[in-house]
Amino acid sequence: MADQELEPSARQREACREFDRDLPAYLEGEERPAVLTHAKECPYCSVVLADFEQIRLSSRHLPQEEPPARVWANIRANLEAEGIIREQVPAWQRWLPRPALFPRSAPLGALAALALFAATLLIPPRNMENPNGLKALAPGGKIEAASVVPFGVDDNLARTLSEMEETYLAREDSLEPTLKDTYRRSLESLDTSIQECLQHCQKEPGNALARQYLVRAYQTKAEVLASALEFSGR
Amino acid sequence: MSADKTTASKAASETQLIARAQQGDEAAFEALFNTHKRRVYSLCLRMTGDTAEAEDLAQEAFLQLFRKISTFRGESAFTTWLHRLVVNVVLMHLRKKGLQQVSLDEPDASQDEPVKRDYGDDDRRLLGSVDRIRLAKAIESLPHGYRSVFSLHDVEGYEHNEIAQIMNCSIGNSKSQLHKARLKLRELLRADDRNPSLEESRTSRPGAER
Repeated sequence: MADQELEPSARQREACREFDRDLPAYLEGEERPAVLTHAKECPYCSVVLADFEQIRLSSRHLPQEEPPARVWANIRANLEAEGIIREQVPAWQRWLPRPALFPRSAPLGALAALALFAATLLIPPRNMENPNGLKALAPGGKIEAASVVPFGVDDNLARTLSEMEETYLAREDSLEPTLKDTYRRSLESLDTSIQECLQHCQKEPGNALARQYLVRAYQTKAEVLASALEFSGR
Repeated sequence: MSADKTTASKAASETQLIARAQQGDEAAFEALFNTHKRRVYSLCLRMTGDTAEAEDLAQEAFLQLFRKISTFRGESAFTTWLHRLVVNVVLMHLRKKGLQQVSLDEPDASQDEPVKRDYGDDDRRLLGSVDRIRLAKAIESLPHGYRSVFSLHDVEGYEHNEIAQIMNCSIGNSKSQLHKARLKLRELLRADDRNPSLEESRTSRPGAER
């Protein structure tokens, strides 16, 4: 009697409902052999199972997104404003033994020039239409002094940094290899930072934060070069 | 280098970074940010479905983390600590927004939830490999409650007991929400599959099953 009432399609549907009831537990890794058995027999449920497996597998491999650079810039600004970031010894100084690191008689003139240069950089650009002028201050000792007018900076100041670098490069072979390598890595790292800051400034000439970073990178580079010159001149 | 050694080396370097950050070292803060930014931001993005909110929340989570970092004593893994904090920040935000969320306290009715089938129709599987962009979009369009549990479990790999703890619900409800989320996702993806505008690209792809 019951068999007569249950048409094959109805029986099939009941089996599918059982499959549905067991499916969550099966997907959670519990033992539910009936799920696989039914999926093998039922084309509709085999599709359901395959879909869920596919979704689960693909979800584990979703790409991670990169947050925009401003997220770190904002965090940093907040940390600084709240006094959580404290004055630190620059990274390049940590690489070297401290007592030997700080030259008492660093080329003060050059540092003073760089300080002035930094102060000038902090002044917002007067000529926003010519951000490409920044290229002239590209790092790596290849400063094209003739075309330097970034942010209204006098090219003499830019040339000072360039000269410091050139002088150091001419003398660096006199340094002990480990020390030379340390300075080289430090300068390369700073050049990368400078390059990034320049790119930001080029894209957004009014970006005060990028300019601050740029100034700091130049200041640090000046300090590194001053220290390196002190060592190489001994 | 073996995987164990790599993991140990990463943990040691993270411990050093944390110690330096506890001293207020900016470079250490930045390095910690860079190590975790993608996972944190992605989690925020998947849970909110909005890039602007995800940016704000990732920022807020990192700020909270760095403000509290001096109290971190290493009893739990740093990553676990961070991720719990991120989830809390996001959930707090969603609650504040008062968005209509699927209640996590509703009775567990997932067992009765029917799975949609196209009986008698040309039923077919989703594409051999679900396009990740489509999947990410489908996740974005899930209701918030579903999306949170799904993101935590299926994307981030949290266990139900952890999710229950984080979201202040029962394990059963976490399981129920997850299953409903999967059902909804499947519906969304299949509807997307039927979209005629996608037909051409789908049939031209190798591995498309009928």
